[in-house]
Amino acid sequence: MQSTFKRPVLLSIVCILGFIWIVFSFPSVFSPSIKKMGDWYPALFGLIVASSFISYIGLWHMKRWGVQLFLITFFIKETILVVVQDVNFMGIFFSILFIVPMMVFYKRMDLNL
Amino acid sequence: MIIFGLLRESVSFALVSLATNKLRTFLSLLGITIGIFAIIIVFTIVDSLEQNLRKSVQSLGDDVVFVQKWPWTFGPDYPWWKYMNRPVPDYPELSQILEKCDGAQSAAFLVSARITIKYKSNSIERVNINCASHQYDRVKNFEIADGRYFTDIESASGRPVAVIGDVLAKALFPNQNPIGEMVKINGAKVMVIGVFKKEGESILGGSVDTEVLVPINYARSLVDIRNEDLDPQILVRAKPGISNDDLIDELTGLMRSVRKLKPRSDDNFALNQTSLISNQFDSLFGVVGIVGWVIGGFSILVGGFGIANIMFVSVKERTNIIGIQKSLGAKNYFILSQFLFEAIFLSLLGGTIGLFFVFLLTLVAGDSVGMEIVLSKSNVILGFTISILIGVVSGFVPAYGASQLDPVEAIRSN
Repeated sequence: MQSTFKRPVLLSIVCILGFIWIVFSFPSVFSPSIKKMGDWYPALFGLIVASSFISYIGLWHMKRWGVQLFLITFFIKETILVVVQDVNFMGIFFSILFIVPMMVFYKRMDLNL
Repeated sequence: MIIFGLLRESVSFALVSLATNKLRTFLSLLGITIGIFAIIIVFTIVDSLEQNLRKSVQSLGDDVVFVQKWPWTFGPDYPWWKYMNRPVPDYPELSQILEKCDGAQSAAFLVSARITIKYKSNSIERVNINCASHQYDRVKNFEIADGRYFTDIESASGRPVAVIGDVLAKALFPNQNPIGEMVKINGAKVMVIGVFKKEGESILGGSVDTEVLVPINYARSLVDIRNEDLDPQILVRAKPGISNDDLIDELTGLMRSVRKLKPRSDDNFALNQTSLISNQFDSLFGVVGIVGWVIGGFSILVGGFGIANIMFVSVKERTNIIGIQKSLGAKNYFILSQFLFEAIFLSLLGGTIGLFFVFLLTLVAGDSVGMEIVLSKSNVILGFTISILIGVVSGFVPAYGASQLDPVEAIRSN
């Protein structure tokens, strides 16, 4: 079933940048630096990367669940970073930069899976 | 309950699909198996080496400063010719340190040599003998399993007594208690008064298991304790609460005054500490870890592509079944979860096999290299995490594509 919701160029750029981020983040899941942060940290970071990837797939298909998943992942990620005292303000800035166009086009997105 | 039912049904669909295509399943999980094996084996070896190194460094004493002629660190601009003419630490310097160094809890003078040790017809050549002053037991970390350490009088008067390592005791005295027995060290009779507790192989060498310890005042009759080849050194342990850096600062001033060095002249001694060794190993392990990460990362990436490819093929093959399922009322999320679970299961199976091979290798390698190699809990968690992650990432796109198929078009496809 082809989606009838046309994806704006801005969201396409967001998705492509997001996929590039995933490509670079994915190997970090099992990098020695991440592993040093704790036994549980690679698992959590892996979960964040996987759900970010799924959220970008949703966004690519203009699905509202993509935005919702992205927001949930963003808040979980930042909460973890606060807990481990590794907050990256640049990362927050770029995430907000991604969230703004998502919210702008949110109403034009498909409600279904 | 509906979720569990859905899960069960999705998993059973996935299992049936994997079982019907055994060769394809095997080939696609091979990539993940190799990837997980590569990355986890490197992490396991690095972790085990690090653990062994820390244990060895701890036995040397991480709060001990070694006053020696030569520094332990070597750089590109290492001025070895300057160090050549330095005097070796001397026994009288120990008393100056014990008397004047406020930051020192204890200190000992030590020389090491190679000797032949004999008991009746049993003889062992090239055994390491440590000749130490009395406070050695307060500077070096070791335990005595049987017998005792030297008394003050034995140390001061240089009595012919020795504490021997567990391996030596077993080799020289099979089925016999060595305490009180006389051994011959380079022909001289020495009484065994203690046996060190077995501590196993050390990554840095110099395990007490194969060493003999005698009082320095007795050793004067065996060796020349000022001989540079015996590596004379003074070991100084810091008081609790005193950092190694503070102790080094104090020892620098003290040694300069003891050796009467002019203010502008360079130090003619080296103050070494175990962190110098561990720091060098840390950087080495860091490099090995990154190399393993890159190699394993590429293997996993290839494995992930393999699974994604297989899932696309699987969706294509079962398109009309998906159409029938959807026309009978199957929801999109059911189709999605069915294929996603298949990918995760495939990846998890590959990862588990990879971890199993790592476990087997740790059992085999542990015995052959003489070092304990342990597959740690954190590495097992990491292995399973990567497997699930690969399954989700590589299986989501094909699964989502399957869930979005039009039932009518899907049924009509071949």
